[in-house]
Amino acid sequence: MGDLLLEDVDDLEFPDDAHVTSTGISNEKLGMWVYLASDCLLFGGMISTYLIYKNRPGEIPGLAGNPNKVSEYFDIPFTSMTSFILLMSSLTMVFAVNSILRDDLSRMRLWLTSTAVLGGLFLAGQIYEFRIFVVNDSMGFTSNVASSAFFALTGLHGVHVVIGVIMLLSVLALSFGRRIRAEAVEVVGLYWHFVDIVWVLIFTIVYLIP
Amino acid sequence: MSAPVTELDDDSPVHPGEAHSHGPTDKQYFRIFWVLVVLTALEVSTEWWPDSARNIAVPLLLFLMVVKFFLVALYFMHLKFDPKMLKRVFYAGMLFAIFVYAVALTSMNFWGDSGTTYFNDPPPVPPPPFVAGG
Repeated sequence: MGDLLLEDVDDLEFPDDAHVTSTGISNEKLGMWVYLASDCLLFGGMISTYLIYKNRPGEIPGLAGNPNKVSEYFDIPFTSMTSFILLMSSLTMVFAVNSILRDDLSRMRLWLTSTAVLGGLFLAGQIYEFRIFVVNDSMGFTSNVASSAFFALTGLHGVHVVIGVIMLLSVLALSFGRRIRAEAVEVVGLYWHFVDIVWVLIFTIVYLIP
Repeated sequence: MSAPVTELDDDSPVHPGEAHSHGPTDKQYFRIFWVLVVLTALEVSTEWWPDSARNIAVPLLLFLMVVKFFLVALYFMHLKFDPKMLKRVFYAGMLFAIFVYAVALTSMNFWGDSGTTYFNDPPPVPPPPFVAGG
């Protein structure tokens, strides 16, 4: 009886289980922004490491290695295409958020699926690029210090994209089972756009600036 | 683009009581996307610029990168329309990262990098050979 009353009160106050916070911002959203701010430091460190080593391929003791800079093997038209795909996925993500804000679940599912597919395409492109480096150009993770920094940076970004795709698919799956909160889609969207923003930096700093 | 309407909305679809504003519409998002596409195309085009224009290319690339960064953060991530606290959290992390790594790059002599294998460019001068009784 007591439990039933408590549930009733909760439902009246917050029909979608959201809670009022002292900041006026939900804990989930604030938590995501704090995480993204900390991720700036992580990627900042990886980008700086690449910048320091990019002109100094050097050698890794005990390995034959590759004396060339990894930037000599970049395929800019191909990477531009994958960048465009990731940019397009950001557009489909904002459409998904706008759809849930309009309570249009079917469109939200469509846009979330599109975003996940575009994320998958970006990953496929990155795997293809890595394969060309390793198989055709003999430029692997341990070939030299610059290539280690490059693969660590772009690989870490790739891992973020994989996690983003998993988050998108999870939200998509949850939307079929029960009423999903708009905020859940918005928070996943924040993560996805951050992955896009980091690629904007990597694409310019690593690929385009000589 | 019209100014966003900000309101404290207890029926906010995002969060009850949150200062919620109506962000861009799908059409406006589409326009921002095309701006980003054009900027990216301009960035990529620098790859085929003549060597004489390389001096302009690097500052332009950095400028375009910053513009793209803020277009995505302000509009796609809704930062322009969200409460100020979120802006402060994100900008604080970003500025801290820039400061820390600017110091790191400076300490590694990155800005005056001549591309040699030595971190302390120019390479250290070897000591003169020791001559006995000299």
